[in-house]
Amino acid sequence: MESSDSDNFESADEDFEFEKFEKGSNTTKHHHPVPKSDTAKAAILIPKAPPSTDVNQNKKETSESETLTPEIVNSDKSKSEGSLIKDDEGNKQYQTKAVPQLEVAAKDTVKHDVEIEACDNSRGSNVTGDAQDPDDDSENLWNEGEGWGVDDESDNTAIPNVQGKEKMEASPKTAPIEEDAWSNEGWEIWESDSKEIMIPNPAKTDNQSNLDPKWKGWSNWGVSSILSTATQSVSTLTSSVSQGLSTVASTIESSIGAPEPAELALSNRAEKKSLPAEITSSDHNNKNSMGFGLSNIGSLVSGVSKLVESTSTKVISGGLDTLETIGKKTMEVIQEGDPGLKKKRAFLNLEGEKPVLSQVLREAKEKAEQENKARQEKHFAKKVNYESIFDDHQGLVHLEALEMLSKQCDMKLQLLFESSSGDALMEIQETLAQVKELCELPNEEDEEQLSLEELKERLASAVKELDVNITYDRLISMWEETECWLNNVNLSICDENELHQQAVETLAQLTAIAVEQFHKAGELLLIKDHHSTADEADSLVQLTTTLTSLIGIAASKFSDKMNCKAVGDSNKESVNSLITNIFYEAANSSSYIQDAFQLLVPVIEMGAV
Amino acid sequence: MSYAYLFKYIIIGDTGVGKSCLLLQFTDKRFQPVHDLTIGVEFGARMITIDSKQIKLQIWDTAGQEAFRSITRSYYRGAAGALLVYDITRRETFNHLTTWLDDARQHSNSNMVIMLIGNKSDLESRREVKKEEGEAFAREHGLVFMETSAKTAANVEEAFINTAKEIYEKIQEGVFDINNEANGIKIGPQHSPTNPSLPGAGGAGGSQGSGCC
Repeated sequence: MESSDSDNFESADEDFEFEKFEKGSNTTKHHHPVPKSDTAKAAILIPKAPPSTDVNQNKKETSESETLTPEIVNSDKSKSEGSLIKDDEGNKQYQTKAVPQLEVAAKDTVKHDVEIEACDNSRGSNVTGDAQDPDDDSENLWNEGEGWGVDDESDNTAIPNVQGKEKMEASPKTAPIEEDAWSNEGWEIWESDSKEIMIPNPAKTDNQSNLDPKWKGWSNWGVSSILSTATQSVSTLTSSVSQGLSTVASTIESSIGAPEPAELALSNRAEKKSLPAEITSSDHNNKNSMGFGLSNIGSLVSGVSKLVESTSTKVISGGLDTLETIGKKTMEVIQEGDPGLKKKRAFLNLEGEKPVLSQVLREAKEKAEQENKARQEKHFAKKVNYESIFDDHQGLVHLEALEMLSKQCDMKLQLLFESSSGDALMEIQETLAQVKELCELPNEEDEEQLSLEELKERLASAVKELDVNITYDRLISMWEETECWLNNVNLSICDENELHQQAVETLAQLTAIAVEQFHKAGELLLIKDHHSTADEADSLVQLTTTLTSLIGIAASKFSDKMNCKAVGDSNKESVNSLITNIFYEAANSSSYIQDAFQLLVPVIEMGAV
Repeated sequence: MSYAYLFKYIIIGDTGVGKSCLLLQFTDKRFQPVHDLTIGVEFGARMITIDSKQIKLQIWDTAGQEAFRSITRSYYRGAAGALLVYDITRRETFNHLTTWLDDARQHSNSNMVIMLIGNKSDLESRREVKKEEGEAFAREHGLVFMETSAKTAANVEEAFINTAKEIYEKIQEGVFDINNEANGIKIGPQHSPTNPSLPGAGGAGGSQGSGCC
């Protein structure tokens, strides 16, 4: 069964590449989907050398594979292998000499292997460099590949036409040799894709079932991150394919995930060859599965199979040309900035976890440093940050508490509304309207200059009228100190930043005290037995206007000093912006105080009803 | 001062059990034998460090007087932790615990961490409530228990910090939704909620008092 299959393969292969494919009929193509895919795999693997043999070995007895290094693979072992190698050869020869030496027999394997090895090596070098070696056959292969990938423009022009059609239709447009290259390349890609497509397919052929072990090997691999990467890139690929080439190219560039494996397989192979004797069976198997899995990473991920299934139709209709270009692009991307694919290997955990760990640590450190920096900057800025000074003096939290009280009162009033009706309700509403009227703040911004004595007097009378135990002593003494400071400040020593800071601190502190006392007033009003609503409202309005005008006075006193500073100073602009900031914070302060007052209105209303 | 989290605490309990003194001891590390009656609520704040993260405790010290009861209830909302304080030298303050507890449970969120505190442990000679009684009450109601002395500062630090640790653990376990400020937790300015496990860059700050009122 197998042998016949593999025979089919060979023939299919040949047919495939040189007849069906180029001249091809759709029917033939479709007749051999499975073999194709397998051969295709082989073909794919061949250029990347190790995987192909691996695959074959896997298909055959493991014991054999154990003893045999890839190069020494018997013809008996697998015709398919032979065919694979043949393919490889074919490719090479073909590309270099344009001679289709497809019938290279399995006997020649060794020789081929050598060649392949060379090919591999040169590839490796290519990978490191930019794939521009003059002599090597393999290189030519490579270059062609590159050429194809790079040749975006021509591809772009050609492929869109071909999209949705069969590959053969496209190939005639290119030169014969190129066509071959194309078909090969196309097959590579096609294979990988067909694999993808076939995975979900229940009707597996023998060959496919042969693949299963590798599949398992792959999944046993346990590189979960690869899975996700692969899933992503596969989905990107598939979705892009349906959209067209140009998008595809760019998309792939951005999603590097899937392609890497192929390259990895290459280097893998090279390593293996250098140490043929050391290959133990498990090792070998591992590598086999790895090589295989890697070269087909995108398709092999079992978790992806569903997605693939759903998208496979899209892929097919997208056309082989697109896939080809994807392949080329992919290779480019793989190599970009990653000579020897070291990073990618590290990514795949082939070289231990060290680099990953250090990466993590580095990132963590960078993040910490950034935070530190931000923190320092913040700390510096905080020196003159109004809000934080206000918060430090419990202004914010008092405001928050006052808010809670106010809400509570609102809720109670609401309940009262709902439980009353008729005249009672009317009465309540009237009362509340009156309270609101009493609590109207005067509109005019009287820029009156309050002396300290006037301030004391006004505050005292207002507090008395309110008839609760609050005091503005702290506020008054603070303002006394500030005025004193302002009168004695030596402008030749004190620079504008210091002045500004003092101003902001003063404003924030005054406001914090004002809000705190409003909060206290609210609490005390709520537990008071007897209310004189009019007095309360009047008193609080008085307090509010007094406090806001105090804020205004403070701001203008500070800005006067600042203006003195600005005269004759070269940095007048910065001084002016500081002055603007002082007035801005003063406006802030006034609105905090007025907000606090508004929060007290429901409290007064509660006392009224 | 930058912080990773801000926890809102409330201190509740009968008048005269030493709530304000506990707060003063915690924020200012000093003791005031004669303390004014608290009106409504007073505030204190201090930075602590847990798991190398700066945490700001914003403490609402409520008035214990019955008159303020309805007002202070409205402050329970949005507290992450509560210190329920009684005076070990006055049994009635212990007897009122259930009322306080019911109040707290009713007006705050169900995840609030409650620490039961038997204060004035320095007055051993006048003790009326045995430590075991406090322990039993705490066990029965699922509280953490501690005897403290605001005067000698014994266990004061621990009471506040252990509560914070418990809240912090609840955050780590995902019990507290830190994005919901009704839980009494706010996230500090530089810390994104998506990255709570990132070690704070500082962590050296320790415990500097910043209480100021």
